[in-house]
Amino acid sequence: MARTRAKGATGAAAARDDKKSATTPKAASSSIYTLPAESDSNPPKLFILPKSASPATRIVTLQHPRYNKPARYLVCPEAGFFEFTTISPPKSAPRSWLIQQQSSHDDAQPTQTPQTKTQITQSPALHLATPYDPLFLLLPALCSNTDAEQKRMFLSLEDHLDTTPDPAKHLAEVLATSPATRQLVEARLAAVCDVVQAGDESMYRVSEARLVREVLDKARRVVDGDNGGKLPGSMEERFVRKELEAPVLGVRVARGGSGNGNGGEEGSGTPASASEESQESVESVETAASSASEMSAASTAATSVADEGDGVASAMTAPEEVVKLQRLRVAFNFICSSYVAPRIAEMLKGNLAKATELVDFKPLDEYLERLAKLRQEAAAVRSSDFSRKRAADEEQDERAEKRRKQEAEEKAKKANMSRGVKNLMKVNTSGMKKMSDFFKKKG
Amino acid sequence: MSQPMLSLQLAKSSGNAPKATPHLLPCRIHHNGPAEPAQSFWEPTVGDDGTRTAYFRGRKLQGKAVTLPAGCRGVVAATSAAAQEQSRRPEEAEVIDLDAEMPQGTLQVQAEFDEMVVWGHEAAVDGAADPYLRGVDEWLALADKIHSYPAPAASKEK
Repeated sequence: MARTRAKGATGAAAARDDKKSATTPKAASSSIYTLPAESDSNPPKLFILPKSASPATRIVTLQHPRYNKPARYLVCPEAGFFEFTTISPPKSAPRSWLIQQQSSHDDAQPTQTPQTKTQITQSPALHLATPYDPLFLLLPALCSNTDAEQKRMFLSLEDHLDTTPDPAKHLAEVLATSPATRQLVEARLAAVCDVVQAGDESMYRVSEARLVREVLDKARRVVDGDNGGKLPGSMEERFVRKELEAPVLGVRVARGGSGNGNGGEEGSGTPASASEESQESVESVETAASSASEMSAASTAATSVADEGDGVASAMTAPEEVVKLQRLRVAFNFICSSYVAPRIAEMLKGNLAKATELVDFKPLDEYLERLAKLRQEAAAVRSSDFSRKRAADEEQDERAEKRRKQEAEEKAKKANMSRGVKNLMKVNTSGMKKMSDFFKKKG
Repeated sequence: MSQPMLSLQLAKSSGNAPKATPHLLPCRIHHNGPAEPAQSFWEPTVGDDGTRTAYFRGRKLQGKAVTLPAGCRGVVAATSAAAQEQSRRPEEAEVIDLDAEMPQGTLQVQAEFDEMVVWGHEAAVDGAADPYLRGVDEWLALADKIHSYPAPAASKEK
């Protein structure tokens, strides 16, 4: 019987103890089954591998270009390089694999009830092999010296490879045994390098401009995907939509008899129209017009949702062009932060900013600038709102306090009076003599 | 922490590898190895509308099947014992030079799968949050795009 534990994180030592106790069948257990002995300490793992991997595929340890640590890669002479990404859930969500496997003799009699073999793998890791551009592996060697480009030397492929960190000597081994892999690496090297022919040998020197273009092309490929030019869902949500989202302002909408008057006018006096004006001044007319119409559409939509009273409208909507640029930038930064050493990434980003002929991020930067201003304003408005509210509250509180004190005093007075006195207070004494009159000296 | 180079040992004839279905259970099981007879504790059922339900130790689980994209195949594999011996002694691997025989282990494929089932307590797991679903859905496609490059032959023509 498989034994499960509800408790999540246990130390490795504890886990081992548990395993031991699990393997020894307990007499006290009422189960009619006993757990089969554990297999050797080498449980099967789960991999997702490319179908194109040939039998000549090797799994090797290479230096990770970003983290400078050995990492596992899969190299196939035909399909190229693949990197391993291991998925494992956080400790807070313990998982394990249960693998049901049809035994091989099942193929002969498929009509019978399938004979399955079940095994448990405690580790929830799933290793994904994804395609990998060997260019990234070469980068640390290519850009080893930070000096100006001119000082770099033209070097042959061998020299470049010699300076490429190779902790387990696996890269050299793979390249030595497989000419196809070697060709592939050379082609990738040529893609980012200036090449000169020296005799019958090609010499390479990295060209920063070509490198930037290559990485940017990758980013473009991510963005110009088949799924409508969007990043994967979770990335799109977090880095594009959230980043470009304008602060939500509570816009008090006057729903007059004019019906759905256009949103731009309704929101007059709010930062929305202010930003619209600034947009018109900096950008070409048609983009301003299109974004203005988008904006009015957005705010009319908001007003139609909120039938009466307060309508909540976003202050500005990012034009499509800006969204595209943001996606491109996110993709570029993602590649830089995952595969490129920080120093080289800095260089790439600097060059990208300079290379305006490749891509011009100006509309995006302007939009982000406006957005930052808008956010600041919104935060300021909100905080001033809070302070005003608090001041009013305090005043009210003081007044209420006074009133309460007065009432309490009166109550105390009343409580001290006797019933007779209370009744006499109701008597009309206007025509009567005052008590003091009797004690006056008679004149 | 040097690991040996592994070669991929496929099943004797490709396509003939036994099929398996990995189930990702929402709990940790402190056991590695066979668990027989499975019928006594694990009988997932597929409903008419495609929902998968199973009861495990009295708890109701709901499963979500993940089909691997085309071009990928799932593999249940173990490193061979010989490779493990070597990985236990990292100092040996470090002094090896190129002239010596490379330490070669094998990754022995035991079974293949093209679908796995991710189980959640009571409700099916959320596709946007679960690392497994996202990994298979999003990361495989994204990595493809990032790392695609023109084939060597094409780049030479330029």
